[in-house]
Amino acid sequence: MSAYSVTEPSKTSKWAAALLVTLYTVITLLPLVWIISTSFKTGPDSISYPPKVFFDPTVEGYVNLFTTRTRPAVSELEALPPPEGLMEEIARRQGTIITGPSRFGERFMNSVIIGFGSTALSIILGTLAAYAFSRFKVPLKDDLLFFILSTRMMPPIAVAIPIYLMYRELGLSDTHLGMILLYTAVNISLAVWLLKGFIDEIPREYEEAALIDGYTRFQAFRKVVLPQAATGIASTAIFCLIFAWNEYAFAVLLTSGNAQTAPPFIPTIIGVGGQDWPAVAAGATLFLLPVMIFTILLRKHLLRGITFGAVRK
Amino acid sequence: MANPIDIAARGTPPTLARKVRGLSDRAIAWIFVAPTIFLLLAINIFPLIWTIRLSFTNYAANKPNAEVKWVGLRNYERILTDEDIWSNMTTTAHFLIWTIFFQVLIGFTLAWLINRKFKGNDILTTLIVLPMMLSPAVVGNFWTFLYQPQIGVVNYIVEFFTGIPAASFSMLGPGGLAPWSIVIVDTWMWTPFVMLICLAGLRSIPDYIYEAAEVDRASKWRQFWTITVPMVLPFLMLAVLFRGIENFKMFDMVNLLTGGGPGSETLLTSIDLKREAFEKWRTGYSSAYAIILFVTVFGLASIYVKALNKVKER
Amino acid sequence: MTGFLTGLLRLKRGPWEMLATILIALGVVMLMQPFFLWAYTWSFLVTLVGTVMFIITSHFPE
Repeated sequence: MSAYSVTEPSKTSKWAAALLVTLYTVITLLPLVWIISTSFKTGPDSISYPPKVFFDPTVEGYVNLFTTRTRPAVSELEALPPPEGLMEEIARRQGTIITGPSRFGERFMNSVIIGFGSTALSIILGTLAAYAFSRFKVPLKDDLLFFILSTRMMPPIAVAIPIYLMYRELGLSDTHLGMILLYTAVNISLAVWLLKGFIDEIPREYEEAALIDGYTRFQAFRKVVLPQAATGIASTAIFCLIFAWNEYAFAVLLTSGNAQTAPPFIPTIIGVGGQDWPAVAAGATLFLLPVMIFTILLRKHLLRGITFGAVRK
Repeated sequence: MANPIDIAARGTPPTLARKVRGLSDRAIAWIFVAPTIFLLLAINIFPLIWTIRLSFTNYAANKPNAEVKWVGLRNYERILTDEDIWSNMTTTAHFLIWTIFFQVLIGFTLAWLINRKFKGNDILTTLIVLPMMLSPAVVGNFWTFLYQPQIGVVNYIVEFFTGIPAASFSMLGPGGLAPWSIVIVDTWMWTPFVMLICLAGLRSIPDYIYEAAEVDRASKWRQFWTITVPMVLPFLMLAVLFRGIENFKMFDMVNLLTGGGPGSETLLTSIDLKREAFEKWRTGYSSAYAIILFVTVFGLASIYVKALNKVKER
Repeated sequence: MTGFLTGLLRLKRGPWEMLATILIALGVVMLMQPFFLWAYTWSFLVTLVGTVMFIITSHFPE
């Protein structure tokens, strides 16, 4: 053996690589840091020039995000009784009074309901189909799998035209059920492909042993395969959830009031006189944070998820 | 498409099959696959057939009671000879080519650097990947804030480093910068995608190949071009095809960043289609438009699946 | 090259898929190039033919 391995990079090259990659990481994270920091700024601070890196943090943005306010005349404002509660006080400091809750809470809940609903449905259907594709000889298997995958590739706007007409006929437009079904249809391709990969990795011998022990196929599936596939199912679920959570095109075209999710709503947050950037940033922060946490949890399976299970390691 | 009844199961050896109680494998396969196929037929295939039908008519969704006339291939003819739509296609091409160029360049370089396996590379990888997982709509919307004329952070940074006055240009306004601004945001978001796939490609190269090359006294430069690049190429193809398909149908991020403007400088085909379908309500015409985009994506997707299977064999 | 041609004649999957892939790629390039209007006009047909060919020929024997 030689004194050094040829495939082991030298110390200097490692240092240089570490330095460059760190630099890129810092630059690429700047916009995200800027979103979070803007959410703690006051309105004037957020649009000051040169941009403020250091500022007095405030939760004004978050208060504005969850409330609607009016700006009464100064004399009227002075005549009011002293503010009750922290939210009122923060609103009063900007010269406004709170008139009611905003729609952000509702929209956020819609995102949660539609996200979890469609994820649950795509996982249930996807696991069943993936098991069948993995274990049984299904005729035209490759064609079916390709068909399933190709549905995900369709341009959303092209799909939205007939869906819009169909939902109008069926009374599904702007309903939670309609959006759940639609997102399930988009997610199921990913679920089937990913889960098939995970189930393929579970040795068949386990089930066959269970079958010999007198289990039915279905019992073997439930008691042997499902527990083995739990990690795979969990990471597939997170991928489906993230997609449904982030989706914008269908949401903006097919929902308006009742079932609108957060992504089409956040850009419409307008403050008193122009876009209220701290409130937008606050909404974005609350909306993006769960995804960032999930991404970190998912890091080991990320590659699999983005390549439909083709690249494993 | 397959008749669901044809979806039979003959996977289990006959000796086993005899011992299985309850439903036969054939029935189970049928029951398991049917709901998925049914949902996709209802939400994807049926609407697609409807779109094809509509594309031969002059139907308008906002006038459901108006008389619908068959116009034959006229919608297709009009779209495929329309110079405005043609120019939107070239706008899309500009977006597509440059985003892929930058993402491959930066993504591959990053993967190559991370593959030096320095301490902490996994933490940095996770951090770098973050932008890719976020909602393009919410992020795109926030970039309009960073891109604000005169007081935007981007303008400030440009002035700080180059001395070009921040008030003299506008990233999203007139002046020809907008097509590049959307390239920047897309590159920021999706470089990690290309990086991750390249990293997988680099890690799939076994060490002994380099060791053999070293024995043959091949230079590092030669090793890079004769071993590293060809071995990563299938992975890179996968990444490029996928980004190509995604950016060909790009809607959410750019719609919020520029909405197609200024003028029609960033009017990508999907945004144009949305205007035709949901603002001008020319449903028949936009159905034909949608079919053209759909066939293109479907064609690219079949190549993609071929590339996918190629990588899987590795 | 002769291998490719005999492959086509014998309805082998490989060369036919390659031909379909080339047609699809050509169609996409024709669709988005900024130079000739006629190429844009006929691009859809080329892509359509390529795609249909791909679906059919992927069932040819290896």
